[in-house]
Amino acid sequence: VTDLAHQAVRQPPYPTVLKPYGQGLVELAARRADVLCLSGDLTRQCEVDLFQQSYPDRFINAGMAEANMIGIAAALARCGHVPFVHTFGVFATRRPLDQIINAVAYPALPVRIVGFMPGISSPGGPSHQAIDDVALMRCVPGMTVIDVADAVQARQACDAIVDLPGPVYLRLRRGETPVIFDQHHRLALDRADVLTSGADVALFAAGMMLAPSLAAAAVLARHGLGVSVVSVPVIKPLDAATVARVASGCRVVLTAENHLITGGLGSAVAEVLAECGVASPLHRIGLRDTFAEGAGTMRYLFGKYGQSTQSVVDAAWQALAMAGAPPASGVVAVGPGEYSPV
Amino acid sequence: VNSPGDGFAVRLSDPGTHWQVADPDRLARAIRLRAVQMVAAHGYGYLGQALSCAELVAALLAVARPGADRLVCSPGHYVIAFYAAAAEVGLIPEHLLGDYGQDGSPLEAIGTERSPLFDYVGGSLGQGLSAAAGFALSDRLRGRDARTFVLISDGELEEGQVWEAAMFAAHHRLTSLTVLVDANNSQVDGPVDTITTIEPMASKWESFGWAPTELDGHDLPAVTAALVAARQASRPAALICRTSTRHGLDCLPPDADGHFIKLPPGLAAAAIAELTARLERASD
Repeated sequence: VTDLAHQAVRQPPYPTVLKPYGQGLVELAARRADVLCLSGDLTRQCEVDLFQQSYPDRFINAGMAEANMIGIAAALARCGHVPFVHTFGVFATRRPLDQIINAVAYPALPVRIVGFMPGISSPGGPSHQAIDDVALMRCVPGMTVIDVADAVQARQACDAIVDLPGPVYLRLRRGETPVIFDQHHRLALDRADVLTSGADVALFAAGMMLAPSLAAAAVLARHGLGVSVVSVPVIKPLDAATVARVASGCRVVLTAENHLITGGLGSAVAEVLAECGVASPLHRIGLRDTFAEGAGTMRYLFGKYGQSTQSVVDAAWQALAMAGAPPASGVVAVGPGEYSPV
Repeated sequence: VNSPGDGFAVRLSDPGTHWQVADPDRLARAIRLRAVQMVAAHGYGYLGQALSCAELVAALLAVARPGADRLVCSPGHYVIAFYAAAAEVGLIPEHLLGDYGQDGSPLEAIGTERSPLFDYVGGSLGQGLSAAAGFALSDRLRGRDARTFVLISDGELEEGQVWEAAMFAAHHRLTSLTVLVDANNSQVDGPVDTITTIEPMASKWESFGWAPTELDGHDLPAVTAALVAARQASRPAALICRTSTRHGLDCLPPDADGHFIKLPPGLAAAAIAELTARLERASD
């Protein structure tokens, strides 16, 4: 798909790995005695059973009590520890929002809040689907908000954020995690990565929507359309320069996020376009002012709620006012342990 | 994090911070007088909090080890009493009290990150015990010999986070924690017991794994003794201190709102006269 230096991505189906973040945290903890790990009764699910086994004295299970867990983490950070706090994204952001704002963000403490199971990756229904976590965290002053796309980035995330001066919200998918980037990729917090070049569509993608965005770009390329796919792992602070530059070089702008289209990546890009005077039409892909539902599979939900490869192809087709029906995206066959986007 | 400016202590727990309380009873009376003077400048304010907790603050400052023990004020509205006490023992310049709560003052009426003295002060209520538990946990991880004292108001016990933190502290045997509950039966909408039944407080704390002591929060020797005894407790200690938002100031009208007392000039003058007389009597 790409030939840009240092940003090579694989072709689907992607191999998958388990617990890339959990391994990254253990590797960091080996070098950094100030790193502590807190869990809200979701230890294995958040991959930090690895930390618990390796460093039991630095592991704190706060139980199902997110408000207190954030308060504990804030005090630990105030004392010079670097606490990494783990639970599902819904519980990490909705329940303790006041604690995050008052006890963590206002004093600008280096608490790392790690929320698993983003957007509609959970089939567990609205109570378990973090469709608003990026929006909630993005409006908190001083909060860095990260939505990584694959296992390579997940593994590097702890190293990348450990020394940031203020709080961080890190959004991570759960379970078998695809490897999209090659082994030379380096997660950078200060830039969005332009993965493909094209002058028709600027497609900004975060988190789990990178894979369908790359797949959609390949489909559109076969129909003569050029797509600049930009991976945006850091939603705040946004790499506004890259957003404005790529957007102004294309006919239309698309954003793709596993989240509500309000308050997250789509809103952040819209703000940049408006402030920079980029006049391209913007189409945001994601949940549109709705809750999703419980289901049997993530694939079903991504299809039903417009987060599939076909959704991205359709959005580009319509944005460009192309004649005829949009091309079918097709499905990449996957074997055991492999991943391809819906 | 704190940036209080020149001339006063950042935190009581910071190494090198020093103070002495020669006469805790006199300090409690001085807190009341200074709090009235601070509130009089506005005509209203958090005077009831200072009246109910004056002995608790005086005892705390008498017992806490300067430059080591930590202080958490969970209800930020109570900072008035700590500022009054801090000025009295020379921790902050006296003249700052005159600007308390005024535009640009470093002494805001509700505690903030700029507030001096505290390891943590909460403005959004119910969060202080979590912070205190975090400090106690950090001190244990680091082998730091220090106690953490937490002032909590009874109204805050309506917040679920307090009980999350209480369970956490007991489970982790954070015995360096001492909670002082200012049980003044006062919250914004009226007496706590008319709004939510939080009793029986002592047995709640006990069932959560704490060592509770119930006492008259205006009995200074009793509060002091309970704070000293808490050092030996095998569980985190909770002092349920029964208090009144009118204690030690007889001239307040019977319908004074304990959360936010109105103090027009005439009443302020009467209160200052009454408390000055009490202070002078105490010095005899």
